[in-house]
Order: sequence, then structure tokens, then C-alpha cells
Amino acid sequence: MPFPPIIAVIEDDEAVRAALSELLEVSSLACRTYDRAEVFLAEFDSERFHCLITDLHLPGISGLELQQKLRAMGSETPIIVITSSGDPASRMRALQEGAFAYLTKPFNDAVLIAHVMAALKVAPESGGSDVGGQS
Amino acid sequence: MAEQSHSLRDLPGRALPGTARKSTSPAGEDTYRKLIYFMPTALVQVDSRAAGAAFDQLRAAGVRDIASYLETHPELVETANDTVLVTDVNREAVSLFNGRNQADLIRPVRYLFAGTPEMARRVMIAHFEGRRNYTEAAKIITFDGQVRDVIFALTYPTPPEQQDITFITISDITERLRTEAQLWQLQADYAHAARISTLGELTTSIAHEVKQPLAAIVTNGETALRWLARDDFDVAKIKQLTSRIVESAYHASDIVQRIRSMALRAAPEKVALDLKAVTAEAITFLRHDIEARKVTLAIDMPQVLPGIIGDRIQLQQVIVNLLLNSIQAIDQAGNNERRIAISVSLLADNRLAFTVHDSGPGINDANLERLFDSFFTTKDGGMGIGLAICRSIVIAHGGEISAANHPAGGAQFRLELPTASIEHFGVR
Repeated sequence: MPFPPIIAVIEDDEAVRAALSELLEVSSLACRTYDRAEVFLAEFDSERFHCLITDLHLPGISGLELQQKLRAMGSETPIIVITSSGDPASRMRALQEGAFAYLTKPFNDAVLIAHVMAALKVAPESGGSDVGGQS
Repeated sequence: MAEQSHSLRDLPGRALPGTARKSTSPAGEDTYRKLIYFMPTALVQVDSRAAGAAFDQLRAAGVRDIASYLETHPELVETANDTVLVTDVNREAVSLFNGRNQADLIRPVRYLFAGTPEMARRVMIAHFEGRRNYTEAAKIITFDGQVRDVIFALTYPTPPEQQDITFITISDITERLRTEAQLWQLQADYAHAARISTLGELTTSIAHEVKQPLAAIVTNGETALRWLARDDFDVAKIKQLTSRIVESAYHASDIVQRIRSMALRAAPEKVALDLKAVTAEAITFLRHDIEARKVTLAIDMPQVLPGIIGDRIQLQQVIVNLLLNSIQAIDQAGNNERRIAISVSLLADNRLAFTVHDSGPGINDANLERLFDSFFTTKDGGMGIGLAICRSIVIAHGGEISAANHPAGGAQFRLELPTASIEHFGVR
């Protein structure tokens, strides 16, 4: 895996997006942020990112659809889904469809960073939904 | 009107007429006198020559702006109150003031203005400016101490008419205002109940709106702590993170405040509103729903819109209800096209048209007529009050609401609301 690892953040809320970017920065992780899944997909390159953090509800293509598209394209980049909705059905679905973790906002920084670190170690071999129990 | 020349000549030689019945009049005039006496509207005849004489002196002294002159010389109003005389009244006027007979009311005009003392000044200004009429909603105090809401309408004499006759009609609107206030209150209570029910449908969306800034606050706070734990921490960075926390906290607080005002049972107000802002606020309640259900929302509004007069919360409620209906209709249709278009346009008669067009299945023709009726619903578990409330709110705002099927498919709801430039007589 090429280093340093780069993380993609897809989040439509500007304040949350900026906050995530700062948190990754202080944790010495490089990231690139997108406000919509469409923009991310337009410049997607499976080699480029080592982990993806995506909001579940996005205008246009949702986080879950993005995950499906990436899997369909053969990408195994670990995906951490973040959401402010407590809906257990979407959580179940996200994990079943291969999300690395599913975190409910507001989440603990240490938990997110721990998941990102875990994802980077296993990337790109497999997704480990067993780690995805945190919320 | 104000420019109309009105030379108030002093008529020193003329005696004040007695009450009309005593004067000798042609038979025809006598008939009119009788009709006027028995008319069911309170009529008061006033001889305002004393004020006219004072006005002539002021004009001669170069006074043009009577309003500011009276502001600095309130004693002139006081003098007028004691020297301008009521010269005749009809039966209804006696009864309105609870007098024993006409003689009780035939005296200086001061008692007419006892309930709204500032009106005396405004009546004088209109007189000085040579206006033909002056109308004001005011209060009077009857001889037995009751306060009544009335509309005063004055007609001033214009040469060559007799200068000694200013006519005042006083219409008692106490009951009307009381009924209006009760209706307004009833409507407000009903609207509040419906709002609570709508908020219940929006809890997911609302929770999302609040959690976003909270998530940003938590993450920024934790990031700042991480920086502080490092040896190489950068003060500028901490400053930036802290100000973002403050910003998000205000944002969260705004949202909570907005939800709170939707839930409160506050007395509705009529204030000048920007329809653009009201629409944007209404959309925050639904943004999550709109995104989660993959609906595209297009908004087409002119850059500049005149203000509207109304209650912010109730108008938001109308917009939220219409959008919620559209979202549900789109879900029901299950089409590929999932679209809501809001458009606002200014109509020729100083009214605004606000339309919501959705890509749902449209409205069954048989239901179009009954759509705004209370307890009419086509939704499972619907109470059938949403659109009925919308209609009652819009009507209380002097507007109209209608629904139709759009030629391009889907339903279109249309509101027409008066803009702030249209004055509503009697609305308070």
C-alpha cells in the first residue's frame, strides 16, 4: 500500500465535512473531501484512496448507493458510513452490503480514528464487518 | 387631495344654527332631517369654525407643516377640544354614548375623543390639509364609562358649502372585533394543533438537522483537544476550531428555536415578512426527508419580492404542509421522476402567487372539490386536517389557496397572498 494513506470524506454538511478533515489532519491522516457522491465518482480511482468515510444521506446518490456502485466496480476500499439517523434497518443494510463500520453522529473521535486505522491495516484485502459494531 | 385649496373664511356674522329641528326648513329638508334622525348609524354634526379661524391665523403666520406644529403646540388641540362644538346628533348617537337625550351630546367635542385622545390631533391635521374625508378606527368612552371600538368617519365642509357643518359618522364595531378576535384565536388554536401533528411526522428530519451541527461541534472539540495534547500545537488552529464550534452551536440553537416556535402556542402576529426567508426556513424542517427520499427541489423566485403581511409560523406551516403532501404523493406514485418545483411570481394586482408543483400522481378529479374540507383525506392514517388548516390560514391572511392537476402531470397547489403594499381596512 502506498503511503501516506489518503482518506476520502463524502459529506454534504459543510461544518461536519470541515470538522472531519481537521480531525484526520490532527491524526496525521491525509484526506480529500467531497460534498456529493457524484463528484467523488467522477474522479474516482480505485488506487487512490485507502479508506472512504461517507455520509448516509446525501443529495443525489446516497452513501449506500455509492457503496453498491463501488462494489459493483470491483473496489474493495473499506467504507465507513456515518449518519445522523438512528434507523436500524439502514445500519443492517450498510453492514450487510460490506460497510467496514457504521457510526451514528455525533460520534466519538477515538472510535472513528480507531476504525479508520483498522481499515487502513486491512485495506484493500477485505472488509471486516465484525469491527463495524460501534455506533 | 391634500393640495386642494380650502380657504376657511371666518364667518363672524353667522350665528350658530340651533339643532336642526328648530330651524325653519323646506318640507323636503325636514323629511331628510327625520330620516337622518332615525338612521341606524350614529351621526354627529360639528361646528369646527373655531378651529378654522385658528388655522387661518396659522397659515397667515406661515405655518405649513401642521403635524409638527401641533406636536410642539399641544395646547392648540386642547383649545379646539373645548371650542369646537357638537351642534346636532341623531338618535343612534345618543344611544351609542348612552346619553339620556340629545342635549347630553350637544357640547364641546372633547368627549368624542376621550377614548383615543391622539385622534383629535389627527382630525385637525386632516382638516388643516383640506382633506374631504378622514377615517380612523378608534375607541370611545360612553357616558357610563364603557369603552367601545368604533370607526370614525369625518366629512369636512368644502366651500361653497356651509363652513359650520362637519359630519361625523361613528360605527360601533365592538361586536365585530370581538367576533373577529374569537375567530382568529380559534383558527390559531386549530392551526397549533395541526402543527404539533405535523412536527410529529417530521421528527426524523428535525433530529437530523440538529445532529449535524452537534456532530461538527463534538468533532471540532475533540480535534482541538488532540491539538492541545500535542507539543507542537498551533494557537491559530485552536482558535479556528473554537470559532467553528461557536458557529455550529449558534446554528444548532437557531434550529432548536425554530422548532420551538413551531411547537409553541403563541398568539399569531401580523408582521411584514420576506416570503423567500419564510420558504427557506420551512424547507429546513423537510430537508432531510427531501434528501432521504431522493426528491429534487427546484425553487424559482424573483430576486426582489415585496413583503407580505402575516404570521411567520403559520405561513411556514402552510409551506411545510404543502411540501410534505408533495413528498408523500411522490412516494405514492413511485415514478422515476421525483421532483418538486416551488415558484413565486408577482401578480398584476400586488399579490404574490406561490405554487408547489410535484411529480406525484396528481389529484383524482372527484377529490379536487373536497380537498380543502376538514376531515377529508385519501391517506392511510391521515386525519384530513392539513389542507383544511392551510386554507384557514391562507384565508386569515387575506389570500386564496387552490389545487389543480398540472398539464405536465402531478398536482399543483397555488397560494395567492396580498403583499404588504395593500392596506387592509379594519385589520389589526
